[in-house]
Amino acid sequence: MIHAWTALFAAAMVVAACWSAGVLLVSRCGAKLDRAESIPLQFLTGACAFQLVLFAILAARIAYKPVLLAVCAAVIGAGIGQYRRPAGRFPEKHWTLFLLLAIFAVFSVVVFINAWAPETSADGSGYHLEIVAHYLRARGFQGLPTNMYSALGQGIELLYVPSVAFGGFSSAALVHFAFWIALAWLIFAYGLRLGKPWAGAAAALLVSLSPVAARDGSTAYIDVATAAVVFAVFYWLEVWDGSRDGRLLLPIGLLGGYAYAAKYTAAVILLYALAFVGFRARRLRPALTVAALAALVIAPWMLKDWIYFHNPVAPFADEIFPNPYIHPAVEQQWAESLRRYGLPKLASLPVQVTVRGDYTQGIVGPVFLLSPLALLALRRSAGRRLLAAGSLLLAAYFGNIGARFLIPALPFFALGIALAIENRWLLTGLAAAHAVLSWPSILPRYANRYVWRIDDVPWKAALRLTPEDEYLRRKIGDWAVLEMIHRIPPGESVFAAGAIGSVAYSKREIIDRFRSAYGNTLWDILNTGWAVETDPARLLVFRFPPGPVSRIRLLQTGRAQNYQQWSVHELRFFHQGAEIARRRSWRLRAWPNPFEVQLAFDNSQATRWRTWQTAAPGMYVDVDFGRAERIDEVRMETSPDSPSSLQFRVEKFEQGRWIALTGACQELPNRVRNGLRRAATYELYRRGVHYLAVGDQDFGAADYNDDPQEWGLEPAGRVPGATLYRILP
Amino acid sequence: MKFAPVALSLALLACAPPDYPVPEQSPSFENFPTRSVHVVDFGLPGADAYIVRDIIPGSDPSWRWTFQRPAVKQRIGVRRDLTYVADFTVARETFQVTGPVTIAFTVNGRLLDRVRYDSPGAHHFQKSVPSDWLQPHQDAIVGAEIDKVWISKADGARLGFIVSRIGLVGK
Repeated sequence: MIHAWTALFAAAMVVAACWSAGVLLVSRCGAKLDRAESIPLQFLTGACAFQLVLFAILAARIAYKPVLLAVCAAVIGAGIGQYRRPAGRFPEKHWTLFLLLAIFAVFSVVVFINAWAPETSADGSGYHLEIVAHYLRARGFQGLPTNMYSALGQGIELLYVPSVAFGGFSSAALVHFAFWIALAWLIFAYGLRLGKPWAGAAAALLVSLSPVAARDGSTAYIDVATAAVVFAVFYWLEVWDGSRDGRLLLPIGLLGGYAYAAKYTAAVILLYALAFVGFRARRLRPALTVAALAALVIAPWMLKDWIYFHNPVAPFADEIFPNPYIHPAVEQQWAESLRRYGLPKLASLPVQVTVRGDYTQGIVGPVFLLSPLALLALRRSAGRRLLAAGSLLLAAYFGNIGARFLIPALPFFALGIALAIENRWLLTGLAAAHAVLSWPSILPRYANRYVWRIDDVPWKAALRLTPEDEYLRRKIGDWAVLEMIHRIPPGESVFAAGAIGSVAYSKREIIDRFRSAYGNTLWDILNTGWAVETDPARLLVFRFPPGPVSRIRLLQTGRAQNYQQWSVHELRFFHQGAEIARRRSWRLRAWPNPFEVQLAFDNSQATRWRTWQTAAPGMYVDVDFGRAERIDEVRMETSPDSPSSLQFRVEKFEQGRWIALTGACQELPNRVRNGLRRAATYELYRRGVHYLAVGDQDFGAADYNDDPQEWGLEPAGRVPGATLYRILP
Repeated sequence: MKFAPVALSLALLACAPPDYPVPEQSPSFENFPTRSVHVVDFGLPGADAYIVRDIIPGSDPSWRWTFQRPAVKQRIGVRRDLTYVADFTVARETFQVTGPVTIAFTVNGRLLDRVRYDSPGAHHFQKSVPSDWLQPHQDAIVGAEIDKVWISKADGARLGFIVSRIGLVGK
């Protein structure tokens, strides 16, 4: 029971700190806000400021509990001292407004209880909180190169740091719930500002009760918070437009930058802000002010990524910013999958994302099929501005068509629909219908039954009347796997052949095959141990007249289809049939992926250098011998999955330029050495990975299980559906 | 335009990608005790790469239709005490037409056994392979031949049986 209250306390502390920071900041902006709009705007603006404070604490590596507590207390104290209660702007009192408020209250209780229950959401307990827990263990920022998601902006996750420190993971979800409330509140306040309370109230319900938003807001995800930040930018722009007070550019710029820090795609609202301010002011300076303020928030995140991932916009653009942490091919395939989610026809997306959810991992609700109605709002200036901002966010949505990525655009379209309908009775009816269609027990009647949604009200778990362990065991599919992994010695890491969920709860490092270049390479090594496409069964032999060579390269000149890579298991040099012994003083280079070139020179057939991007002309492997060597033959061991369309030229470096030695090669079958499986696990062991977790359905599971001894593996644990192996030294 | 990212990234690295020394050389596991061959399991990715003939690739995630003389190849390591294993199904639909069938099991073209199947359904075959039939570090052709095939009226396809796993395993 105590955990329930500490979670609540910690979340309340963070929310209060955000709001207090907002009070301090907003009071300096000269904004004339009424009571309804001031609180959510203070909270959201303050969240931006408070995350900057937290960023500094984590950068200084002083994220100790007393420090976090002191900072929160100081901010709250200062904020309360500065607080002046603004005047209220009350709408006409009408029973329909109270009905809408009552509906919202019922849903709020449901969402709140879900947020209060132990955190079990896939991404929340999967990586958002894994990163938070990692920072807390390190008392600050520390690279997490085995998880490329840790390169994404963490503007929202930083707020989870103090809440998790004091209240555990569910406290983070409660902070996110506060954003859910703030978003609804702000949308309603915008309706009041326009003099259309029903439009505001109905739009607030359309957004917050939307099945995916309600679910998201009850977890330690960040999408609802991002949507709230985005809408706050828009709101501040409207406030600024009313007074043109230059001080109001402060929250606009900071929140615009915060949108980027929260989620890269949300940064489009900053473009809108820059365009809006520039256009309305007819001057460049206000827009530059906004840009500079946004840069204050964005720059620390870019710098962090530059330091930890050698790429300011990681995990994206890895071809432009090559780094050893993320392979471009994996990034590109990932981005491509996010654009489609396996959806057979993009034309079905509107129905999928609103009604069915077979592919989109959630739905926003059938009512959003009425979005074209929002075009009628174009007759009003407010409608035009809403739809302009909404259209930008909608365009960004196509970068990831998961339903929750649509949440930031929803407030704009919901308000657009509401302004178009305008009639209070119709709006009340629409919101009520949306509430019915979004109710957890109604949803499966029309949507995919497995769609991501709230599916119960776990009040016993929220109050911890159901023990937390028992609840987590029931709700987290991989809980038994995590418990099995906990039995390995502290400090050891595990390589997972498949995806393991809820790793935030893991007390050991789990490296998976997808989330890092390191994991990709470990996975590739394991596969080379047994899969026929990746074993070094092909030998390309290049012969040329003997002569002294001090530097040589193998240049690739052919083309390949998308994602087909060039790979080299081993590259060897010969003279009259005798291999030139490798010397430590050789200097090895490659392009692309220079960071893994040693894999082609380590005498292991289980490892290979790969381009990790589509093979293209100009790619090479280059060896500087440091002295003249007599060479007449180069042998490249490669695999069947290296495309046959590739062509090569051997060149030597002489007098400042590359001179071709030969472009001809003979392809022969290569003898794959015995013991390749054992060679593969040896490579993992050598890299400090001593355990391997394999789900029964994972690629290669049957092969490991068939003969662990041949792999150099020893079963170290077994739970239904998964085996843990120890890699023998 | 297509090479713009490559050009830009090269520029960012000041035209000099990092260089590395030759790493520590990995040991050989040539003599590590392995059974060196694994049954071809069509439930696993990549299994079709082992097909030599008369097996329809990718017919299902976990099994394949065969024609009359299916065969796979496997590389033999140092061990030669191996067992021929096959898990297969005589389909009810084909059995209704062909009646009982006899399947000959072969290794490198030599007859290992011939078994008659009087009923449709799943069957398992297993038998030791004489060690002198196998050569270390050579591919072995593991095959089967069904005496009666089912002929499709639609396209004339001559289907044999359904195979899930076939190959040589260590004893």
